[in-house]
Amino acid sequence: MMFWGKVLAIVRKDTISELRTKEVVASVLVFTILMIVIFNFACSANYELVKSMAPGILWATFTFAGVLSLNRAFIAEKEQGCLEGLMVCPISRDVIYVGKMVTSLLFMLIIEMVTLPIFTLLFNVNVISLQLIAIVILATVGFVAVGTLFSAIAINTRARELVLPILFLPVVVPVVISAVKASGLAIAGEPWSQLYSWLLILLSFDVIFITLSYLIFNHVIEE
Amino acid sequence: MNRKRNTVRNIFLGISSILMILTLYMIFLYVPVEKEMGIVQKIFYLMVPMGWLALLSFLIVFIGSILYLINKDSKWDVLAHSSASIGILFTALALLIGAIWAKPVWGVWWTWEARLTATLVLFMLYVAYFMVRSFTADEARGATFAAVIGIVGFIDIPIIALATTLWRGMHPGGIIFAGGLAPSMLLTLITSLIAFTFFYSLLLMQQISLKNNENRLKKLQQYLN
Amino acid sequence: MENMGYLFAAFLIVWIGIIGYLFVIFNRQKKISREIETLEKSLKEKGIKQ
Repeated sequence: MMFWGKVLAIVRKDTISELRTKEVVASVLVFTILMIVIFNFACSANYELVKSMAPGILWATFTFAGVLSLNRAFIAEKEQGCLEGLMVCPISRDVIYVGKMVTSLLFMLIIEMVTLPIFTLLFNVNVISLQLIAIVILATVGFVAVGTLFSAIAINTRARELVLPILFLPVVVPVVISAVKASGLAIAGEPWSQLYSWLLILLSFDVIFITLSYLIFNHVIEE
Repeated sequence: MNRKRNTVRNIFLGISSILMILTLYMIFLYVPVEKEMGIVQKIFYLMVPMGWLALLSFLIVFIGSILYLINKDSKWDVLAHSSASIGILFTALALLIGAIWAKPVWGVWWTWEARLTATLVLFMLYVAYFMVRSFTADEARGATFAAVIGIVGFIDIPIIALATTLWRGMHPGGIIFAGGLAPSMLLTLITSLIAFTFFYSLLLMQQISLKNNENRLKKLQQYLN
Repeated sequence: MENMGYLFAAFLIVWIGIIGYLFVIFNRQKKISREIETLEKSLKEKGIKQ
């Protein structure tokens, strides 16, 4: 339980800092809504088109929003030298990984849960359902599992805002595919049994990549 | 030492060339022309080896990356980096050959069918490998980051393949020949695969030796300063 | 025999790809070997240990 205590400490620290600055959640939320509006223009108010593209638009939006918020995961640490401070603390690197991951997960879920009702309103497509929430949670876990690791890498490079998407997007292709497909089925009102194969892919991705990133993270953070 | 290396290289060059000539003979003079697709079907004997080498290269990148992360011995990084250089070439060729095959068969240069899409994502993974390297100031760190991509990317490949296949459904007009794969076709394919794998090994050896020389040059230049 | 053009293009591209790559590597090898020789010679002259 010591492990989770330390993880929660990191989550608390980041959440408090976020509550003060409102950097991540507010700005990414605004970005998300802007993206939805732009996609609407991209579909030229063709109602049928928009309805069939809904899952795609939803997940394109979430993916880009995810990249934005993941970018911020380590930027503050790097710029204010907090990373060295964190490493000097008597905690192992994996705690940092899990802590950052949980924080990003929390922020992204908040953004997504706020976006869903807005999406429903603007697109006249009901995206608030248990199925969809399950999909969102599984997919977001996949995003942050890989994204936290890559974010830690990206801040150590030049052009950090560019490097993260270049690393991140190819790797999460299966997550996006599965999420879009499953969301399409969910919106169409299909039963859970239809979603199983996609949910299984999402779940396997989550398990595999949380484990993998957890193991690899140590090597990335070394100074 | 250099002479021994040259001998090995020449042996591989010789074997590769002989096997390749054999393959070309088999493709053009031995194997019958396929019923449905006509002569264009013979691109198959190029396409499969390209895809195979694209994956084999990444496997070597994966192995090199893991060993590098564990050992920090730069020879593993050289292995991974070299295999990645070759792998990205074959992946690009696979995409090009895929397009050239797609045009006469399906009428379009590109289609988002499962295999081509997965190959495109593989190409993006290779690009990510090189980008993270070149965007990192410190070389050793760049190697470590690249190794991470090598490992994460490779583990991701089967998942990508699964997702893209399920996404596209079972493609009816895909690479299924009328009447299945005749034994002569199978034999030609296997010969082609072996020939190209020998070429891969040759390229890999040359690339590794080149990288080692480049590293040695850098070290010498450091001594001079 | 209609699509011979495509078949030919495919083989050509693969060949240019592989042979071209080998060619580039061989050339770079030669260049670097020469540079290494020059450097090693000047290091020896300066008596710097390697």
